[in-house]
Amino acid sequence: MVIMRASFLRTALLWSLLEILAAWQVRTADGPILLTWLRAVIHPVVATADRVGDLTVDVGLGIHDLQRVITDNRRLRLQLEEIRARELLLDEDLQALREASRLAGPTSEFEPGARVARCAFRDLSAGTMEVRTESRVVIPRDAAVMTKGGLIGRVVRSEGRRHWLQMLTHVTAAVAVRTTDGSLNGLALGTGTEALTVAYVPRQGHLARGVVLVTSGGDGIFPPGIPAVEVIRVRETEDPFLEVRAVPTVNLKTVRVVLILPDWSPENSGKEQ
Amino acid sequence: MKSVALALLALFAQRLLGLPGLPSWSSEILLPMALIVALSLKRHERRWPYEALLLGLGWDAVLEPVVGPGGIAWSAAALCLSAASRLVADRSPKAWLGFGAVGTVVVLVVQWLALLPLGLGTSWNPPSMLRTVLFTALWCGAVGTISRLDLPTHWRAYRARKLR
Repeated sequence: MVIMRASFLRTALLWSLLEILAAWQVRTADGPILLTWLRAVIHPVVATADRVGDLTVDVGLGIHDLQRVITDNRRLRLQLEEIRARELLLDEDLQALREASRLAGPTSEFEPGARVARCAFRDLSAGTMEVRTESRVVIPRDAAVMTKGGLIGRVVRSEGRRHWLQMLTHVTAAVAVRTTDGSLNGLALGTGTEALTVAYVPRQGHLARGVVLVTSGGDGIFPPGIPAVEVIRVRETEDPFLEVRAVPTVNLKTVRVVLILPDWSPENSGKEQ
Repeated sequence: MKSVALALLALFAQRLLGLPGLPSWSSEILLPMALIVALSLKRHERRWPYEALLLGLGWDAVLEPVVGPGGIAWSAAALCLSAASRLVADRSPKAWLGFGAVGTVVVLVVQWLALLPLGLGTSWNPPSMLRTVLFTALWCGAVGTISRLDLPTHWRAYRARKLR
């Protein structure tokens, strides 16, 4: 077996040498055919290496492009989400603006100086809200702020486009209210929670749960006739007044657009009337 | 030494067979094939056929455009015949004829294969190849027959009788 293998190897070696010797003697237009053989041997290796290099570059570019596509896709998805959210907000804003317009329209005294503002921040537990107007305006302190659902509160600070409100749930807020027919009056006091206390409602008054109380204008801050609170509980106590609990007619959690009434004052109202 | 002389003689004769004026088929006989056949049929020791390699190189030097393929072809033929001689016990002229045919086929095929990558490959010409195989086989058979006759012994006997 070993002898056969040695003989085979010797034969192969000798024949290869003879073939190379013959190839060395043959000339072609490109030179010795041996060089052509070498080129034929090397070319596939070089071509393969070249292709592998190209493939590597292509794969690298592909990966890079894929990463970019993924990033773009993520960014576009975020943008789409943002646009959808903005669309929803705009839709709500538009709806709120229409409502505010409908609300302000019939009330001639609101219209001239009424400003539409957008809620930028609110802290329900603190009873404060920050709203922003489209342009810089000076809103006088204590200007009433409302929306379609009713009263929200009053302006406590104004600075350029930013205006801070004290909502009627604020612990120090107080709004003079009455029933729509004017038979009962009271004072809605903020408690720092969602519910308000309506004080000074006489015991003999007929007040039931679900009744909406509107502003009476008696406090000199809020124009009369704006829905303010809805009664949720009425209790009789030993005091001469009913213990009334109420919640704002406006859902303060979802308010986005508000109407500021800076020009109303009891004096102006009186003159117009 | 005798082998070298016979090889040179065969190559020289082969060269002569290709001279202008002789029939075209005369150059188709591979005269050195008889030496290869003789080497395989008469040798008892087993070794690599360097003689055939040298004969092939000589063939190339005398008759071919490049040196090398002939060495491969003739050594391949010698290897094949050497292997065949171990399988065939017959040493008659018929065996010479058959070995000559096989060796010729091997030489032609291997030489064609060896020339192929060089761009010098000869085209297949079956009639010519058949003639080459046939004539070379006949030539080997003739050599085998003469070898079988043992002419030197007869010649020596004849001289001894005449001297008496």
